[in-house]
Amino acid sequence: MLSWLVLLPVLAGLVVLALPRRRGELILPVGTALSVLPLALAGYIFAVFEPMAGYQFVNRAVWYEPWGVSWYLGVDGISLPLILLTTLLVPVSLAASSSITNRRKEFVVYTLLLEAAMLGVFLALDLFLFFVFFEAVLVPMYFIIGIWGSERRRYAAIKFFLFTAFGSALMLAAIIGMSVLHANQTGVVSFALEDLMNLDLTPAAAGWLFAAFGIAFAIKVPVFPFHTWLPDAHVEAPTAGSVLLAGVLLKMGTYGLMRFNLALFPQTSVDWVPVLAVLAVIGIIYGAAVAIVQPNLKKLIAYTSVSHLGFIVLGTFALTSGGLQGAVIQNVNHGLSTGALFLLVGMIYDRRHTKMIDDFGGLQKIMPIYAGFFLFMIFASIGLPGLNGFVGEFLVLMGSYASLPVYAILAAFGVVLAAIYFLWAYERVFTGIPDKEENRILADLTPVEIGVLAPLAVVIIVLGLYPKVMLDKIEPSTEAILNRIEATTDYEVPAPGRLADVFIAGGEE
Amino acid sequence: MTALLAQATLEPPVVSWLGIAPEVILGVGAAIVLLVEVQWHPRRRILAELTGAVVAVAAAFAVILQRFLDAGQGIDTLLPFAGMIALDGFGVFARYVLLAVTGLGLLAAWRMIEGLGARAAEMLALVLLATAGFSLMAVSTHLMLTFLGLEVGSISLYVLAGFSRERSESDEAAIKYFLLGAFASAIFVYGVALVFAGTGEFNLIGVRDYLTGVVLFEPGVILVGIALVIVGLAFKVTAAPFHSWAPDVYQGAPAGIVGFMAAVAKIGGFAALTRVLVSAFPAMIDDWAPVVAAISALSMVVGSVLAIVQDDIRRLLAYSGVAHAGFILSGVVAGAAGTGEVWFYLSVYTIQLVASFAVVAAVSGSTMARSALTDYAGLSSRQPFLAATFAIVLLGMGGIPLTSGFVAKFGVFTEAWTAGFEWLVVVGAVTSVIAFFIYLRVILVMYMDDAPDQVVAAPLTTRWVLGLVVLATLVFGLFPGPLLDLAGNAVPL
Repeated sequence: MLSWLVLLPVLAGLVVLALPRRRGELILPVGTALSVLPLALAGYIFAVFEPMAGYQFVNRAVWYEPWGVSWYLGVDGISLPLILLTTLLVPVSLAASSSITNRRKEFVVYTLLLEAAMLGVFLALDLFLFFVFFEAVLVPMYFIIGIWGSERRRYAAIKFFLFTAFGSALMLAAIIGMSVLHANQTGVVSFALEDLMNLDLTPAAAGWLFAAFGIAFAIKVPVFPFHTWLPDAHVEAPTAGSVLLAGVLLKMGTYGLMRFNLALFPQTSVDWVPVLAVLAVIGIIYGAAVAIVQPNLKKLIAYTSVSHLGFIVLGTFALTSGGLQGAVIQNVNHGLSTGALFLLVGMIYDRRHTKMIDDFGGLQKIMPIYAGFFLFMIFASIGLPGLNGFVGEFLVLMGSYASLPVYAILAAFGVVLAAIYFLWAYERVFTGIPDKEENRILADLTPVEIGVLAPLAVVIIVLGLYPKVMLDKIEPSTEAILNRIEATTDYEVPAPGRLADVFIAGGEE
Repeated sequence: MTALLAQATLEPPVVSWLGIAPEVILGVGAAIVLLVEVQWHPRRRILAELTGAVVAVAAAFAVILQRFLDAGQGIDTLLPFAGMIALDGFGVFARYVLLAVTGLGLLAAWRMIEGLGARAAEMLALVLLATAGFSLMAVSTHLMLTFLGLEVGSISLYVLAGFSRERSESDEAAIKYFLLGAFASAIFVYGVALVFAGTGEFNLIGVRDYLTGVVLFEPGVILVGIALVIVGLAFKVTAAPFHSWAPDVYQGAPAGIVGFMAAVAKIGGFAALTRVLVSAFPAMIDDWAPVVAAISALSMVVGSVLAIVQDDIRRLLAYSGVAHAGFILSGVVAGAAGTGEVWFYLSVYTIQLVASFAVVAAVSGSTMARSALTDYAGLSSRQPFLAATFAIVLLGMGGIPLTSGFVAKFGVFTEAWTAGFEWLVVVGAVTSVIAFFIYLRVILVMYMDDAPDQVVAAPLTTRWVLGLVVLATLVFGLFPGPLLDLAGNAVPL
C-alpha cells in the first residue's frame, strides 16, 4: 500500500507526460485530478491507522542483498500527519498554478515527481532508501525554482541545491559509517533503522555521527545559522514551489531530527539539548525580528518560517510529551498556514505583479474575500485559540517549560513578535484608504482560488477545535521515542512533562 | 623454488590463441579496414560498418571465451601464453566494458567519420588499435605486456588527438599529449624495472609469490618501483597532480572521438593500476594504499574545484574527469575487496563520458569549434531530446540518487570506509557536492538561458548513444544488482 503511495504520483506524472501536446489546456486539470488519488489513499491510511501498533503497512523488499539495502517503507504516528500534509498540499498547489503558462507539462511532472520523493522521505525506514529520497527531492525542486522562479532564480536554485546537498553529503558519510560499524559488530550488512538503532557506539563516534545527521537536517529545517538559503529560495520560487518548500521540504528536516537523531543517538541527543535549544530560540527571535522589517511580503513570510520552525525544533529537543507532540502537529500547522499564506501572496502577485508591501494599501475594501482569507491564515499562524496554530504552540511551550523553562519563556516572546509582524503587515496592506490607482481595479478571488484555499481553512478549523483526531494517532509514537530515551540513557522526563493528556482531555470539551 | 623452475623448463608453455582472440580480432580488423580503404575506396559508411562489425565480433569472442571457460572446454588454463594473460573475471569484465565503450564511441563518432573523407579508415583503424592495446593491458599479468598494451593504446590516442589538423588546438593537443604521455610511459617502465630489480619477476603472480615467500629487509627498491608504476598509470587516468594534459587534449581532439579516447584511456589505466596493485602487491597494501588515497583526495579536490571556473564544456568535462578519477581511486585503496565497485564505477562513468562528448560533438557543429558553455544556452528549446538526455547523464555523473552514478559513488565510498579511510569518504562526499555545482551549471545554461539562433543538429546515431546511456544510467540506478554482481566477479587472479 505504501509503495503505491510513492508510485502513484510517478504514474500520474507519466500520464501527464503522455498527454498530447496540442491539448495543453488538459495538463493542469488532469494533473490536479490525478494528484488527488494519493490524497485519497493517504486518507484511507489515516482512517485505518492503529495508533498503538507502531510502524504499519510495512512494505519490505530486498533491493540489493550484498549491500543490505532494502525498499523498506512504514508509517507511524510521526510520519502519518506529514503524509497527509504532503498529499493535501500537492493538489492544492497544482490547482493554484494556472498562472504558469510556459512549459506547463514539465512543471506538473516535476511537481508530481517531487511529491513521490517527499512521500518516500517520510516513509523510508531504511537509511539508504531515506537518503535516496532525501536527495531525489532536490532535483525537481531545483528545476521548479530554476525554470519558473522570478528574477534571481538561478542563484536561488543553485544555492538551495548546494546548501542541502552539502548537509546530505555529510549524512551520506555518516550512513556509510554506521552500516560499516553494524557490519563489523554483527556481521550483517544492514541499513534498516531498527538495526542501526542498536549499534554500540562510543560517545565520540556517536557525537560525530549525530553532528553529521544534525547538520544535514539543521540546514533543511533551517536552524539558525544555516538559514540563509531559505529566504532566497522561498522568494524566488514560483507559488507552488514556495508552498511545497515551506509546507513540506522544511519538515523533512524536523522530521529527520526526530526520527533519526533522537532514535539513533539518544544519549548524544540528551547531551546536545542545550545547543539545539539555544539555536532554536535564536531562530525564533531572530526570524521574527527580521520578518518585522521586511518590505517584501513573500520574504516576510519566508522569515516567519525560520521563527516557526524554531518552535518545532525547541519542542523536539524539549524531550517531553508535550514538546514532541507539539512539534509533530506543528509540522502540519505550519505547512497549512504558511502554505496558504504563500498561495495568497501568489494570488495577489498574479494580479498586481509586485510583492512589495508599500505598493498596496486599503485592499480590504477592494478585495474583501481575499482580505478575509488572509486575516484568517494570519490568525492561524499566530496561534489564535480555536485555530490549529494555537494547539501546536501551546503544546510546544508547555512541553518545553517542563524541561527548559528559560528557553520556553524566551520562545514565548516569539508569539508576541508574530502578532507584531503579521498584524503590522496586514495593516499596511489591507487597511486604510486604497490610494493607489493600480490597486483600485484589482478583482477579488475567483471561485477556483476560493476552492483552493477553502480545504486548507477547513482543516485548520478542524485541527484547531478538535486536535484529538490527530493527537491520538501521534501520541503513542512520540511516547515510544521518550520511553526509548529513558530506557537507554539516564535522562528522565521531568514530571510535568508527561501531562499532555490533560490538555487533550481539555480539548475535547 | 628450484623444483618450480625445473618444472617450468620441462613443460612447454601453454599458448592458446583463443585466450586473446578479442585482441587479435581487433588488431587484424584494424589492418583489414586500412586494406579495404586502399584497395576499394568504399563509401565511409561501409568502412564504419565494417569497424562496427569487427568490434561486434571481438565482443562475441569475449563472451564465447567466457562460456568456454565456464564450461571448461577448448581452453584449459586461466593463464594462457605462459602465464602472461589472465582469463579471470577481472579481464573478462574489462573486455566487456571496453568493447561496449568502443561500440558507443563509434556510434557517437559516426557522423564525423562520414565527413572525414579518405582519412576515415585511419581513424577507424586507430580506434580499433587503441581498444586492442588497452584490452591487452587489462588482461595482462606480465608487466612488459602491460607496457606493450599501454603503448599500443596510447600511441593510437596521440595520433587521434592530432587528427583535426586544420585546427591549431589539435596540433597542440597531440604534441602535449605525446610528450607528457611518453614521459609517463617512461616513468611506468622505470617503475617496472625497479620492481624487477627488487623481485626478479615481471609476472604479477610471480611477484606476489616472491613477496609472500620472503621477509624483505630493504624494500626500498620495490617501494620506489610501485610508486613509479602508480605515477605512470595515474597519468593515464588523469589523476591529480598528473592531469594537466587532459583539458588541452579534450579541447583539441576531434569532438566526435574525445569521449572514446578519454573513456578507453581511463579503463585501461585503471585496469592495469588495480590489477598490478591487487594482484602483485597485496602484501604491501599498507604502503601503497595511503599513497593512492592521497592521490585520490587531491584529484577529487583539484578536479571539482577547477571545473567550477571552466567556461568551455570540454575543459569542464576534463576537470570533472579528474574528480571522477579521484572517486574511483577511493575504491582502489580497498584492494581486492574494492575491485567490483571500481569496475561498476568505471563502467557506468565511461559510458556517460562517451554520451557527454556525443552531445558536445553535436553542439560543436561541423566546424567542431563551438564548445563554450554559452553555446549550450537554451539547448532545451532548440534540441529538447539532447538537452533532456544530457541533463540526465550529467545528473548521473553528479551521483544523484536513482542514477547509476549514485550507486557507483556509494559503492566506492563504502569500500574506502571499510578499508579504514574514513577521512577519504568525507572528502569525497563534500567534493561530490562541489561537483554537483559543475553539472547543475551546465543544466542551468541549457534550461534557463535564452537560446541563440545557432541550429544544432542531432544525428540519429547520437540519439541512439544518448538513449542507450540514459537507459543504462536509470536502470542501473534503480536496479544495480545484476551489474554489481557481474562486476563483483571482476577480481584479479
